[in-house]
Amino acid sequence: MRRYHYIRIRRIDTEARYSRDEQTKRDRTCFSCCEMRSSGAIMKSVGSNNEQEVCVPVASDNDLMTARREGREMARQLGFSACEGTLVATAISELTRNIFTYARHGKIHIRPISNSTRRGITVVASDLGPGIADTRLAAQAGYSTCGGRGLGLPGVRRIMDEFDISSRPGRGTTVTATKWKRP
Amino acid sequence: MNAPTLEWAVGPDGFHGECATVSAVAMKDAPDMLAERYWAILQEYLAYSSEASLSRGYELARQALVDDCGVLEFAEIHHGALRRLSAEACSDGRTLGAASDFFAECLSPFEMSHRGAQEGARALRHLNEVLEGELRRIAQTLHDEAGQLLASVHIAVADAASDLPPKERGRFEKVAGMLTEVETGLRNLSHEWHPTILDDLGLLPALEFLAQKVAKRAGVDVSVRGDSGARLPAAVETALYRIVQEALNNAIRHAAARSVRIELQCTPYTVKCSVCDDGRGFDANRPPHTQGLGLIGIRERVSALGGSLRLVTEPLNGTTIQTEIPLGG
Repeated sequence: MRRYHYIRIRRIDTEARYSRDEQTKRDRTCFSCCEMRSSGAIMKSVGSNNEQEVCVPVASDNDLMTARREGREMARQLGFSACEGTLVATAISELTRNIFTYARHGKIHIRPISNSTRRGITVVASDLGPGIADTRLAAQAGYSTCGGRGLGLPGVRRIMDEFDISSRPGRGTTVTATKWKRP
Repeated sequence: MNAPTLEWAVGPDGFHGECATVSAVAMKDAPDMLAERYWAILQEYLAYSSEASLSRGYELARQALVDDCGVLEFAEIHHGALRRLSAEACSDGRTLGAASDFFAECLSPFEMSHRGAQEGARALRHLNEVLEGELRRIAQTLHDEAGQLLASVHIAVADAASDLPPKERGRFEKVAGMLTEVETGLRNLSHEWHPTILDDLGLLPALEFLAQKVAKRAGVDVSVRGDSGARLPAAVETALYRIVQEALNNAIRHAAARSVRIELQCTPYTVKCSVCDDGRGFDANRPPHTQGLGLIGIRERVSALGGSLRLVTEPLNGTTIQTEIPLGG
């Protein structure tokens, strides 16, 4: 079993209290379930709330399309507005771009979540690339290959409601971003 | 319909290859080629409504943004595509709906960028508040503690002098005189840094007070005109005070102005402030380095409050700085 050190920056949403340990466990499970990098392979599994989770290994543009489609479809099923669905797809695009740039391949895990009042979508992007030495910096404005236009990881942090990076140099990166449905 | 055919490579290399082509296109023949690409991908989306087209549209818009395409410019490209659609008589309700879905997808990078700018402005506003607080603290300490200390030195000097014969006393009086000068200097500095008059009486009286001081100190003619209406939000008052202070500084120190006019104008929705000097001005396209920092400071204060800044200047013809800050936002 791999061990990860979690350096967390979390925009804490007080209403979202799903267990961090459980999430960590899920991340690991996912790593073991699909470390393949073949195009088009999607794994769907039924989560604890009887809802379907999707895991898309990403190594090509086709995979990106698949991940975006799955994300948008899940948003639609959960009753998100089209605009929110677009933001989820955007987050998937930016997270995948990040994987392509730094690790070449990885995977996107999309899962529906809920707490007592709301439902939402969590997108987990993980790779086994070189990792990020300073995750705090990576989520800040200015740290970007696009000259500080607010795209990339900082952009994802802003269009989603919760955002979290854990990474360790040499051991890959996992970015978790959640979007809640507007009440 | 004769749309340019697009070839899309697969994989990370293809991904970046595509970005590179779009970038080169946007740089060279923008915005015509950008419009052509947009049109081609839009048609692809209208024909197949596939996620791939949405993703391409997104990447196209993202690259356009990186290449400094504005959101209005991009909207114009979309309108151009709509005009083409209606010219080709394929603009039924469903097509138009799909086209606007596609357009929304392309606006997503701009949305991200917009949120980034908003966050930046918030951070800047916060930073200004922190700096202002710090300045206040220093000014207060200077005023209270150094002032207290100087007062005790005064008493000690007077005390020491009183025991001396009148001949020697003269020298101590000189020292006392110098101490008074230091005291006045410190008090002035402290008032300029932390203008209590701004808190107590508002912007216009504070500007008048500042103008008087600066006029006396630098020997220039400074006039203040404006309506002293209701009090403005504290952040706006402080920002405008600092902007005028900086502009006055520039006018005297760099532009060698002989007279400066300050005007303040309040409406229910905005406050306008202009500082106009008759100094030597400069080439607006190449602001001198020494002045650069002051101007950047002014610009940042204005943009943190969502306002606008206009700089009118040319060599030998004076400088006018106009700011407009929205109220109640």
